[in-house]
Amino acid sequence: MTSTPVLYSLHERIWHWLQAAGIGFLILTGFAIHYPDRFGVLGSMANAVRWHTWIGVALVVNAFLGIFYHATAEKYHHFLPRMDDFTDAAIRQAHFYFYGIFQGEKHPLETDPRRKLNSLQKITYLLLLNVLLPFQIVTGVLLWGADLWPILIARLGGLWVLAPLHTLGSYLFLAFLVGHLYLATTGPTLGSLLRAMITGYHTQEEP
Amino acid sequence: MRRHRGSRDRQLSFVIGVALLSAPAWAQPSQPGPASSNPTRGEQQKLVHPRIVLKDETGENVLRSGKPISTRQSCGGDCHDYDYIANSFHFQQGKNEMDRALLTSHGAPAFNTSPGMFGKFSIIPNRQLTAVGIEEPSDADMSQPEWLTKCGGCHTGGGISEYDLHGKRFLTADAKPDGPYDPSYTIRDREKGQVVPWDWQKSGIAEADCFLCHVPKASRGDRKKEMAAGNFRWADNATLVETGIVVRQESEGFTYNREAFNPDGSVKQDAIDLSDATLENCSQCHGFTARNATTIQPIQHADIMRGTEKCGWVYNGAKISDTVSPNIVGKEKMNFPWDVHAAAGMVCIDCHFSPNNPGRMIQEDTKKNLRYKPAGIDLAEYLRHPDHNFARGNIPPETVNLTRINTMRACGDCHDAEKVHAFLPYKATHLRTLACQVCHLPAVHFWAYRSDDWGFLMDTGGSRITYRGIDGSIVDPESEISGYRPAYIPTADKHQNLQIRPTNLITGVYWFDKTKGRPVFTWQMQQAFFTALPKEGEWPYRPEILKTFADKDGIIDLPQAVYDTPEKIALVKQLLQTYAGVSDPELRIEVVAWATTHGIVGKQQALRDCAACHSKKSILARPVVLDSFLPSGVPVVYRGKNLKVVDFRTKEPTFDNRVLLQSFYVSGYSRVPWIEGLGWLCVAGAFVFSLIHGSLRLLRRKS
Repeated sequence: MTSTPVLYSLHERIWHWLQAAGIGFLILTGFAIHYPDRFGVLGSMANAVRWHTWIGVALVVNAFLGIFYHATAEKYHHFLPRMDDFTDAAIRQAHFYFYGIFQGEKHPLETDPRRKLNSLQKITYLLLLNVLLPFQIVTGVLLWGADLWPILIARLGGLWVLAPLHTLGSYLFLAFLVGHLYLATTGPTLGSLLRAMITGYHTQEEP
Repeated sequence: MRRHRGSRDRQLSFVIGVALLSAPAWAQPSQPGPASSNPTRGEQQKLVHPRIVLKDETGENVLRSGKPISTRQSCGGDCHDYDYIANSFHFQQGKNEMDRALLTSHGAPAFNTSPGMFGKFSIIPNRQLTAVGIEEPSDADMSQPEWLTKCGGCHTGGGISEYDLHGKRFLTADAKPDGPYDPSYTIRDREKGQVVPWDWQKSGIAEADCFLCHVPKASRGDRKKEMAAGNFRWADNATLVETGIVVRQESEGFTYNREAFNPDGSVKQDAIDLSDATLENCSQCHGFTARNATTIQPIQHADIMRGTEKCGWVYNGAKISDTVSPNIVGKEKMNFPWDVHAAAGMVCIDCHFSPNNPGRMIQEDTKKNLRYKPAGIDLAEYLRHPDHNFARGNIPPETVNLTRINTMRACGDCHDAEKVHAFLPYKATHLRTLACQVCHLPAVHFWAYRSDDWGFLMDTGGSRITYRGIDGSIVDPESEISGYRPAYIPTADKHQNLQIRPTNLITGVYWFDKTKGRPVFTWQMQQAFFTALPKEGEWPYRPEILKTFADKDGIIDLPQAVYDTPEKIALVKQLLQTYAGVSDPELRIEVVAWATTHGIVGKQQALRDCAACHSKKSILARPVVLDSFLPSGVPVVYRGKNLKVVDFRTKEPTFDNRVLLQSFYVSGYSRVPWIEGLGWLCVAGAFVFSLIHGSLRLLRRKS
């Protein structure tokens, strides 16, 4: 195994870990709001609501900074799947995860600074960053503004619609987080992908 | 001369006006209680009402005539407009609101003839004023004279005891019965079982009892005795017994004590002590109220105290921990007043004021920006026409004084809740959807009604009443009072928004006459259950009742007096048909949620634990035990509708208000099952996938 030059720039790593921390804290505070009698980690539900709001704002800001960085540094293409990513490449990647990985086959995509994400990652992030994250932001902002815009909230179905939808989005984020953490162990070594996201250097598999 | 008199009147009006405008101050005693935090209120000097002459109905001084006092002559006449005052709720009790459209618009059932006590059915007494125009004696329940004998102790005369249901003044040439069963001129004779004429000449009429509210030493107990005995004309005199102005005669009536009168024939001010209604005056009828007292009488005058019985209100400035009697369980830890407003020296009229009092009136008109009118009515005009439809809030399902709902000072009229709830997220939503009492009345530390079961009559001829919050008899000071936790019920607020309020649930069980569309009268129930009138206070059950309900010793006690089989319900139904002429009776349960509003605690004792509401075990949906004797399988009425609000699956039937809370999303409590299921399925799926996939990788690597 050899190491390549920097795979993840400092900007990307900071952005990623801020995003990760934000989502983690949002899930934690979200649980404190959804199950206040069982997750009283922040003292009271009122504290949890406040933290949830401010972390949410920070996450939104970070998301926009991420968009700005990837657009200006011309790195957005990492997240844009090609047609092939939905078909052959996706099948190859799935075949690897469900079969090849147990046979000791080589990863179908050789990660390098020009191609950081495999096709399944691209599809996942396309949905995550363009559908689920905005969905959570919109429903979250509406829930935050329930006091300010009661008529709008009522027209949208009220809290009985918005809150459960936001909750569902949270569960999906949590499911993603579980899968994401596990798949982070599928590199050449258990910790190589995690190390890459910390140091920026990725360990390549031997040919 | 006339001009001079007018000038004097204006001066007099000014003096009285100043007195009334400062009413909260001079309604206080000169010795502030130990918990009073505002000594200046008690120190203010009480202003004196001008001397008055007590006159009889002809206008003659009662000292000379010896006849009953006429408040129409004594208080009315040149000073106060008696008819204007007596046309208000305290004197009419709904008599002047017998308007079907008004009742319908407020959801009152069709069998109620008025929104007030004079005409509406209530599960607590299970009695109702007989409607005008009945043609059969079986339609007669409580006639106007009987109503006065039963309820006239509190309800202060005037309209209801001066005028018949056709608007004619009793004992005048126009006042004549309209048919043999006219409820204004008859009464049901229990011995004969017939509706017989009432002798108004003998009873006389009871004019508005101004003294009951405006004389601090008023005696409702003495008034009640006269009303109950049918001596209506002496009722107002009786109220003055404890002032020393009148002396009860052993035979009948009262004489006057000359010592209490001035040489000019007016009554001495220190004897009558006319003043604005004090807290004690109001408490005589409305509930246990004591000014910073540590001993609270379990029952005053040995009868009803509505506010306390319904909800356990104790409006008292003393600390609960200082209570000497009755026996409050855990009082040692309750180092706070029964009510913070009482502790601050506030009295009833501070909130429930006369709506046209220029010093107090508030204007509730959302289209205008004016909350207070400095240029209100003239003082003299107010004193002549003081509105006695006192400002009131909204305590569903109470419909009394319907046209004055939400006229009182509410919490938000004095407190700026936004400023003192910084800790609270979603302040506007919380303040809109929760009544202040939800957090500031987290528990009631007194007993209150739990149920009144008229479905089965005990051998007392009456209902079985149970209380919550007390272990033992309510009249025994040694009984342990543990209080109760309220039930939370959504109710429309003054802006018609649904708002959750703490309530006491009172459950009634009664038979309903489906043919007549009204509850079965108590006398009909007694005819069905008993063979005769009581002997030595005990009513004799019919053999069929004894055979079906009694234990092996032939005794029907509380455990036996239950409808635990359909056969028992069928038997009583048949008895009602056979002996009481009720063609289609139906046993019903009615749950009534009475909003608790007094007994407010300050911020130290207020509920601040978010999880109390925002959790799976939210207090908002906490099951509240109703009554262990409730029959199952019968219709349950809640606010006039058949609703499934009683859960019989629990050990004792409980109130299930989840259906009522459906419109509220309470974070932490409210759940959409399929969302939760799908969400956790996704999370669990990710876990299981990772676990299996990781395990297989591990196994493969080892092999």
